[in-house]
Amino acid sequence: MRKFNALLDAMDTFLRTPATVTDGRCHVRDAVDMKRIMITVMIALCPALLFGWWNVGYQHFLAIGGETALWPCLWYGFLKWLPLVIVTYVSGLGVEVLFAQIRKEEVAEGFFVTGFLIPMIMPPDVPLWIVAVATIFAVIFGKEVFGGTGYNFLNPALLARAFVFFAYPSVISGDKVWISGADAVTGATPLALVMNGHPEAMPSTWELFFGTIPGCIGETCKIAILIGAAILIFTQVADWRIMLSVFVGGYATAVVCQLTGLCPVAAHDQLLMGGFMFGAVFMATDPVTAAHTRNGKYFYGLLIGILAILIRTLNKGYPEGMMLAILLMNIFAPLIDWCIVQNHIKRRRKTLDL
Amino acid sequence: MQFQNETMNVKITKGLDLKIDGGATDTMLDFALPDLFHIRPDDFRWLTPKLLVQPGDRVQIGTPLFADKKEERVVTVSPVAGSVKEIVRGEKRVIEEITIVRNCETALETLVDFDDPTDGESARKLLLQYGLWPCLRQRPYSVIPNPDISPKSVFIPCFDSNPLAPDFNILMRDKEEHFRHGLKMLHLAAENAPIHLCMRKDAENELFETVENVQKHYFSGPHPAGNVGTHIHHIDPIGKGETVWFIDPQEVARIGCFFAEHKLQFGKTAALTGPEVKATGYFQTIHGADLSAFLSDSLTQKDVRIISGSILNGRKLTDNPTLSFHDHQISVIAEGGKREFIGWLLPGLKKWSLSHTFLAWLTPKRTYAVNTSLQGGRRAFMMTDVYDKVFPFDLMPLQLLKACEIKDLEQMEALGIYEVDSEDFALCELVCPSKKECQKIVEDAIFELRTQN
Repeated sequence: MRKFNALLDAMDTFLRTPATVTDGRCHVRDAVDMKRIMITVMIALCPALLFGWWNVGYQHFLAIGGETALWPCLWYGFLKWLPLVIVTYVSGLGVEVLFAQIRKEEVAEGFFVTGFLIPMIMPPDVPLWIVAVATIFAVIFGKEVFGGTGYNFLNPALLARAFVFFAYPSVISGDKVWISGADAVTGATPLALVMNGHPEAMPSTWELFFGTIPGCIGETCKIAILIGAAILIFTQVADWRIMLSVFVGGYATAVVCQLTGLCPVAAHDQLLMGGFMFGAVFMATDPVTAAHTRNGKYFYGLLIGILAILIRTLNKGYPEGMMLAILLMNIFAPLIDWCIVQNHIKRRRKTLDL
Repeated sequence: MQFQNETMNVKITKGLDLKIDGGATDTMLDFALPDLFHIRPDDFRWLTPKLLVQPGDRVQIGTPLFADKKEERVVTVSPVAGSVKEIVRGEKRVIEEITIVRNCETALETLVDFDDPTDGESARKLLLQYGLWPCLRQRPYSVIPNPDISPKSVFIPCFDSNPLAPDFNILMRDKEEHFRHGLKMLHLAAENAPIHLCMRKDAENELFETVENVQKHYFSGPHPAGNVGTHIHHIDPIGKGETVWFIDPQEVARIGCFFAEHKLQFGKTAALTGPEVKATGYFQTIHGADLSAFLSDSLTQKDVRIISGSILNGRKLTDNPTLSFHDHQISVIAEGGKREFIGWLLPGLKKWSLSHTFLAWLTPKRTYAVNTSLQGGRRAFMMTDVYDKVFPFDLMPLQLLKACEIKDLEQMEALGIYEVDSEDFALCELVCPSKKECQKIVEDAIFELRTQN
């Protein structure tokens, strides 16, 4: 049984809180732990997920010309999502447990959220084996090789998505995957269409906001994402500084793009399109891969916002710049922190006159 | 930095007051001083004792029990008259405690004969000789100060903001005159270094307000407003190579009594607090006195943790509980460890958390009966903003903790390690979702730092 220690321990502490008592100097502890934080993120994701289920069904029935009643749509979306999430969790947790076992550590809860996020940022019709390969790649090379949850510098969920995009462009490209079960229908995301010279495909602001457009499971409904953002900010699980600065950076850049004629889309619509909002709320705020310093978070967020809109506007080939912007800034976050810390040290030296 | 010769008002905004049951009521508890005393070298940080007594030796109040191996002038003396019963040794023959059986017929104070000191050196010599020197501690490191190095200032925290902390007005009752005289002698011993009295703003500070020739400062806000580290940081921050002394007001009074009346005594008032105490209150004791009998009558149940000091940074007492040398509080809380079915998913109406992840935030005014459950598994540093919320220093807590964890001394110095000590990270440890032992990380790191310097 020793071989399965990590797994057994993970299941045990999953079912019942651990019996450990404090043995350091501080004899009491805050009730919050990483499990609670992760479950809070998952609760915050639920509104977007519920809407996502419905929207997958809705887009499907719309495309094939069927009726779009509430329950069939939800059920259809749920059935599309279920295999994705099972594949993600089995493959990802498998790797996690294996590494925890090798390291003789407890299984960290990080993958709860990662595994929840991955199906939400995949197109609904992505082949399952690709999801599995992408998840395993993301967990091993995004996280475990650096030491596991807490030591990674790239957001594993986004890395999985990036892996799919770059490794299997022929499978995921084109317009087929965005509307489930409707191969015959061209169902590119509005974002892709508008950016490639079809401004007439632009949905209304309300449609963008409400989310009745093709897209990833989790990203379309901005109302649901805002509810999630409110939960995250109120429970103090995610940092509002990052969310705010992403929006500020994104909006400012979108205004500039609109005014200079680089992009025909209105600035406020830019923020509602694609995965910008989902990324700002759930991806950029990952505390491990974001900047760690308070002031650094503002720079980090601003640059994500700016880069996301720039990539989207200037690179017609890949309109979804949010993923790349966040991954890029994940890489730069330690540099931002380094600058902030050096600045802090310098300032302290000056005031202390050391 | 230039010393600021003025009163300062400091408002602490980052921090928190843990609302728990069991604060001390203003009553004096019935406490019969026991016969058995346990004097523990471990009360003094990193002190390696050189034993000066043997089992069977008769000791008087003021008889040296052990000296600091590195600085043999620093001795710890017997607080009572009696005989040495036993030297308890632990692993690697480390002296864990010296057990003394008190002679019940002798008084708890003794008269000593000396010439009143006229300069700093003679004052320090007397303090060293009669075992009062260890009442002082220094920052950085919170160790007994080196008698040859004069401090740049002396800090006296005049209130304690820890959970369930005692009221200093009660601790200092009937010690006013001694306190005043003690300040004068401290001034002399510290070679006229400025003395800072740090008080709670808008609280009753009658005694502390009336003393003269000191700097008075006022702190408001949540814990750690009363920590000496907070005071030093905001009033006279320490740079590399600088030393600051700090001392508890009760110890100042003890020094005052010694010099004014030539009386050596080690009595102190302490508070018995905590949710598991039947009747909380104050009691007159001596450090090292065996509290087993006293506590066994006062607790509501058996499965408790008895702590000398506060629940945030006190010392866990197992066999023969005693009050540590520098503490003025005994806290008793329930031992935790009860397993809860899917605890991480429950609404948590009765769970205290700084974050709002449990529904207990709906009732911000409630008090909690806390226990010692770790409430989670140990993880790497993940959440990056929690420490900032409870760390009222112009320092970067997460970066400092990480530098401490890998013992990167250069980075620790650059990030201001000399200004902080483990107790300043107590709240970080309390709220850490990764269940890091922040205080131990810092303590180990500054131990390394001190060894290297």
